[in-house]
Amino acid sequence: MVDFSLTEEQTSLRDMARKFAKGEMAPHAAECDRAGRFPEEIYRKAWELGLMNLNVPTEFGGSGLGLFEQCLIVEELSRACAGMTTSIIANCLALEPILLGGTDEQKHRLLDPFCASYHLASFCLTEPSGGSDAGSLKTRARRDGDHYVLDGEKCFITNGPFASLYTVFATLDPSLRHKGIVAFAVPRETHGVVPGKEEEKMGHRASATSTVRFEGARVPVANRLGAETEGFSIAMRTLDQTRTPIGALATGIAQAALDHAADYSKRRQTFGKPISEHQAIQIKLADMAQALHAARLLTWQAAWTIDHGQPGSLESAMAKCFASDAAMRVADEAIQVFGGYGYMKDYPVEKLLRDAKLAQIYEGSNEIQRIVIARELLARYA
Amino acid sequence: MEIAVLVKPVPDAETRLRPDAKGLALDPEGVKWVLAGYDESAVEQALLLKEAAPGTTVRAISYGPVARAEEVLRSALALGCDAATSLEAPPEAPTDAVSVARALALALTKHPASLVLCGKQAGDDEGGIVGPAVAELLGLPDLGVATNVRWDGGPGGLTMERSVEGGLEQGRTALPALVALQQAWNDPRTAKLPNILKSRKAPIERIPAAEVAAAMAPSAATAPRRLGFRLPPPRTGAKMIEYKTPEEAAEKLVRILREEAKVFP
Repeated sequence: MVDFSLTEEQTSLRDMARKFAKGEMAPHAAECDRAGRFPEEIYRKAWELGLMNLNVPTEFGGSGLGLFEQCLIVEELSRACAGMTTSIIANCLALEPILLGGTDEQKHRLLDPFCASYHLASFCLTEPSGGSDAGSLKTRARRDGDHYVLDGEKCFITNGPFASLYTVFATLDPSLRHKGIVAFAVPRETHGVVPGKEEEKMGHRASATSTVRFEGARVPVANRLGAETEGFSIAMRTLDQTRTPIGALATGIAQAALDHAADYSKRRQTFGKPISEHQAIQIKLADMAQALHAARLLTWQAAWTIDHGQPGSLESAMAKCFASDAAMRVADEAIQVFGGYGYMKDYPVEKLLRDAKLAQIYEGSNEIQRIVIARELLARYA
Repeated sequence: MEIAVLVKPVPDAETRLRPDAKGLALDPEGVKWVLAGYDESAVEQALLLKEAAPGTTVRAISYGPVARAEEVLRSALALGCDAATSLEAPPEAPTDAVSVARALALALTKHPASLVLCGKQAGDDEGGIVGPAVAELLGLPDLGVATNVRWDGGPGGLTMERSVEGGLEQGRTALPALVALQQAWNDPRTAKLPNILKSRKAPIERIPAAEVAAAMAPSAATAPRRLGFRLPPPRTGAKMIEYKTPEEAAEKLVRILREEAKVFP
């Protein structure tokens, strides 16, 4: 039997995230967006309350939540500010390779500090020459005794300037393609690790993004995650886990857009009545609500599927792709409902459109998601 | 030291309130019951005292329909209270402050506390009577309203402060006692996610309705009954001033303030 009701535990987690989002994040969202400010004080509070490292099991000091509960939290946070949410959940992405590929010793050594105090980690896969084609990455790893030496550059790295640990994917031999890729956990203090300057972005401006260069960085063999041949698989399985919460993040943006549009439509008067009483606006709101609702349900189903031990590649790709496309449409319509005011930075909806755009691009572009969907789909017609 | 905190489930501030079908009470449909206002300060004060004096335990006590009372008790547990007691409201129970105080006093006779804390008034009806009534029923000194309470362990070791007009009043006393907490000077903490998860599984002692009804019985016959519950009349609309120049707007506004609102002579 399908049951869409939340448990009391899930409701209390969602309410707690909502309270944090409203009380701590929302009041600073516009200012951080305008100034491109990385509000570390908010991220520290999120850490103190256990809103970071949601996927780290409790035995390593994390929150140990299932994907479904993570999605409930991410949607609430994103409703207040998608950019801050990206920085808050970046640890889940960056630490997942350790959870998937690390030994027990590595998990304790590498994860404990993140749960004992506030630290950020960054996932370093994308390179200037390509992100979607991860098999052809160019950052080199060379074995030298009991170390590997890393050389290369990663780009669009969330929390890059502030991270204390980087999970890095590098190749032993580019001609081996996927099979040559190795995963590493690289501490910031390693000589030759050089984070670049913060990028100026269109949206998600409360999140910091930079390049990270590796210039002969010596990483102990003890920090290799999994076998030498397993790096690509670790990267892909990581993204299988973290793709669904991006659906939740996009759903949060769409919810915020509908909230603003519906509220404004009841207060704004034209032709002698609130615009919510004009059918043209009602139709927009109805379409926005449908897109939002479908995005949330696809996201919930993907999370449920993965929490129940099924692969979920198809479901998570659909959730991420559909929800981020929906967030773009809903944010776009929210601006239209606001009319000229929606185009002004003093009003909250234009930020939503800029924030939604990234959800179509990062953690696997929506084109890649559609390729995954088609591949999974066509395999069923063999 | 054993501390008891009395907490009342109140509707979340964002709830859209409406009367029930009989017009006698708040319609509970869709209402989220929360720990709020002065009660939050009382819980925070209890937890600060616990942190300052190792070995202190804090029990949260709430009266009401089971689901409501237990919801706020779980919030109190998630914040750091050690134990919780829920007093199940009997069907058709009187709703007056003294009857509720009798129920709460029942829990306190089962779990005697050297310090009883409560909010200075409830977040919904702002009655402010239940706390003093509990003190009276148990023969506890009621120290009134405080903004801060400290405990240094010695005899007469409870120091309390309260805001008074233009100043701060301080006093010292011995325990046991009941203190009502003033507004949230202490910036109540937010529950941490792992503690929320733990609180959902924590046991809550439940005192059944029959036992609660017996405790409330002595004043049941004389308890005041509520006659009705309704919303205040809606506020009348704002008046828009039509104008072409700021001077004209100011002139019209002054005329309205003088002649209609009678703000100026």
